[in-house]
Amino acid sequence: MTPLTPMERAKAFLSRLRHFDELPEEIRQAIAASAVHRHFDAGQVIYVEGEPAEAIYVLESGWIKATRMTREGREQAMMFLRPPEVFGDIAVLTGTPYPGTVVALEDVDAWVIPAQTILDLVSSHPAFALAMIRRLGERVLHYISLVEDLSLRSVEARLANTLLRHSELRDGQLIVPRREWTTFDEMATRLGTVRDVLSRALKTLEAEGLLKVEKQAIVLLDPQGLEQHGSL
Amino acid sequence: MTQDPDPSSDEALRAAILSRLAKDDRTAMASLRVGVLNGIAHLAGLVPALETYAAAAEVAESVRGVRGVVNRIEAPGAPSPSRTVHLDLAEAGPAGKGNDKLPR
Repeated sequence: MTPLTPMERAKAFLSRLRHFDELPEEIRQAIAASAVHRHFDAGQVIYVEGEPAEAIYVLESGWIKATRMTREGREQAMMFLRPPEVFGDIAVLTGTPYPGTVVALEDVDAWVIPAQTILDLVSSHPAFALAMIRRLGERVLHYISLVEDLSLRSVEARLANTLLRHSELRDGQLIVPRREWTTFDEMATRLGTVRDVLSRALKTLEAEGLLKVEKQAIVLLDPQGLEQHGSL
Repeated sequence: MTQDPDPSSDEALRAAILSRLAKDDRTAMASLRVGVLNGIAHLAGLVPALETYAAAAEVAESVRGVRGVVNRIEAPGAPSPSRTVHLDLAEAGPAGKGNDKLPR
């Protein structure tokens, strides 16, 4: 079988993206024609906050983390994305610098689409504008839930919810594998807190018999109890 | 209520940092990326030596108005660019600025 050209690969991948899959062929073709493939090694920076937004990124493989530094100097996680996903779009559409820093947590393959291509397509194709609006709407909902979490819920409740959201069923047990947070710092950033507070929250939930912290995973011993904690 | 960020001053700080990096012999040849948000400078890129990594942060920090520097430049021996960074801005005071720790 003949391997796909980069443009064909980009086009095929775009059709896997929610809302983009409904776009007419000519629009996907136009996006694919301007898309450039980039690889980032795990740990590499994709862009930093405050940099001019020159492109949007379509995540083809790997896992990325978007963070933003508060005015007080604390790093706050905004999003963790897995493919197929788009990022960098808010800045491009608002004409502002990137609002957060994005790093690759694993090896990442992404398609980089110049801002101008996106802006031209938005002005000329209502179907594309609508697809972008839908994506942005979903992002707004994500941030509403983040604000709600950070302002209304305790660290223990956020932790309980996050663990439940990222749990997997393995051998009859609900576990959260290590790769979902990598380090305590990583998890604290995700929960909008610091390492010491996270550590105390984990110990509290562990003492209540709701979970068990192991080297490679957190075992959720009482999902129902965690669910109750998550609503506090 | 929190103050709205001032994008124009962040933009000016970014331009000043880039200009100083270009003039400084230690960083002039490096390929570096700079972003500034709320007066905090964020550095990225790839340099061949830890000295250049440290010099870039020093140059950014020397720009008046920069409140802190997050150094995510890749260099041999430098910490991971993707690490979690917290700046100690509260204790920086007028004499000092927040900076994430440089390797010793």
